[in-house]
Amino acid sequence: MKQRNTGWIALFLAPTCIIFLLIFAIPLVMVFATSLFDYRLLPRTFEFIGFSNFIKLFTQDAKFLPVLKNTVVWIAIHCVLHVALGTVLAFILYKKPHGWKFVRVTYMIPNIISQSAIAMIFLNLYNAQYGALNSLLKAIGLEHLQHNWLFDTATAFPAVTMTWFIFAGYTTTLVLAQCLSTDESIIEAAKIDGATSFQIDRLVMFPLVKRMIGTTVIMAATYMLQMFSMIYITTGGGPGVSTANLPLYLYTTVKANNYGYANSIGVVIIIVGFITMTLINRLFGMNKED
Amino acid sequence: MTHFKLSPKQKAARVFSYLFMALCVLVALFPIVWVVLSSFKTNREILSNGLQLPSTFSFSGYKQALEMAPILKFFVNSLIVSFASTALNVFILAMAGYVFAKKKFRFKNLIFGILSLSMVIPSTALMSPVYTVITKLHLYDTKMALILVYTALNMPISLMILRSAFAAIPTELEEAAYIDGAGFFRTFWQVMMPCAKGGLASAAVLAFLGSWNEFTFALLLTSSTSTRTLPLSLSYFTSQFSFNYTAMFAAITIAVLPSIIVFSIFQEQVCSSLTAGSVKG
Repeated sequence: MKQRNTGWIALFLAPTCIIFLLIFAIPLVMVFATSLFDYRLLPRTFEFIGFSNFIKLFTQDAKFLPVLKNTVVWIAIHCVLHVALGTVLAFILYKKPHGWKFVRVTYMIPNIISQSAIAMIFLNLYNAQYGALNSLLKAIGLEHLQHNWLFDTATAFPAVTMTWFIFAGYTTTLVLAQCLSTDESIIEAAKIDGATSFQIDRLVMFPLVKRMIGTTVIMAATYMLQMFSMIYITTGGGPGVSTANLPLYLYTTVKANNYGYANSIGVVIIIVGFITMTLINRLFGMNKED
Repeated sequence: MTHFKLSPKQKAARVFSYLFMALCVLVALFPIVWVVLSSFKTNREILSNGLQLPSTFSFSGYKQALEMAPILKFFVNSLIVSFASTALNVFILAMAGYVFAKKKFRFKNLIFGILSLSMVIPSTALMSPVYTVITKLHLYDTKMALILVYTALNMPISLMILRSAFAAIPTELEEAAYIDGAGFFRTFWQVMMPCAKGGLASAAVLAFLGSWNEFTFALLLTSSTSTRTLPLSLSYFTSQFSFNYTAMFAAITIAVLPSIIVFSIFQEQVCSSLTAGSVKG
């Protein structure tokens, strides 16, 4: 029976392995390998140049360091403030105040519809001429605060950040599910011991859901490391590169047919991802089995 | 809680809680409601005051949007790509997940370890070589390219969910099927698959959402109306509808509403899938 099964096992694994090979493994090797080449079409070039692409990125490319900084700042904001926002809401909702279910579902809606739709909505909300934000400022007599939010160097970065920062429904859903799955008798016992609700949150509930918060932090970091569509649609990375991040810069480099250079940016994305994940795992003790 | 008298501090906490909840609801709903309301306004109304309610409810914006851009075509493309990639993803990863959960074979941990790599690689880093691979396969600007890439992008999470779904099924059940004379495939298809329904549903929901909303690779790998998907169509509207704001707002509404309706119906399933995905991922 064993021998007959080996064929079946191979057959069952084959499709997954083939697709993994095509879309992950081969591309991953190509990213690392071609990052060492001057590789472009028109004129067709494929020449080994060692680490020159990376040296160029870090020392000569005036765009790269600001783009890297934006990416890192956005990851930090998302991992800390965005997750905190979602967690605070989860800690409010697990006590089941009136309307908690409605809030949970409603707050999730922006996370369900596509990023590109949210981006389009904000492109209009921020519109200088008819956008809701400027209209609101005008209505309450604060016309001097009006801006062309997405296209003004002073406001573009925070304006773009807001398009994803405020929608923490994902975090709320996950942390809330974890809160609700904890044994209620623990909370009851703490109440009987005279703990205030803030003490229960901080000393009982928080340690219980800490790992789930760690998971949402990882998801937040991944989300920001992959962020592309919302920037592409709202500002296209501008003005200048003030709202560009690594994936957007990689995309523009690919479109400029400069593949070797684009892939050296890909390597940087993979390294930034690796460092971020290691840091988060350490911080939340995610690798410890318990 | 209401049985006790509230101290001022508790009262303040309660007021804060409700204010915070209200703010979250406002933040989530205002942008969408504003877009939907604006889709009923005339161009002049939109330009004169962005916050005014529409004077009449006219659907002409919707009619124009459907005439100006092939929204329905994009919508159908999205449906085809999302359904196909979800079906393919769940089917092949159920097979792999089953084998990883229930079978012993050589190099099992090694293969699983390598496949797990897909979880830690940001897919955006692979944009350029994925483009090359798809072009080499002569799949550029085809729905098949998107189906293939989306099947792969949703692979890590499906693998985790389905492996633990199959691991949770008692092995006795599988052995009983063997004793009754069912072969490898029949045991998998008729005995194991029905038992893993919960995991299959979770994986399918996540894969579908991922494919339905994906933008980056769709932009990179397609170029014509016959293959482009709904998320891309929205950015197409900006140029197409440059001065017809009513139609643009209508187009956004058309793109957004189906997701909201489907989510409202299946929200319990969607939320539990998300939770399953995070615990296992």
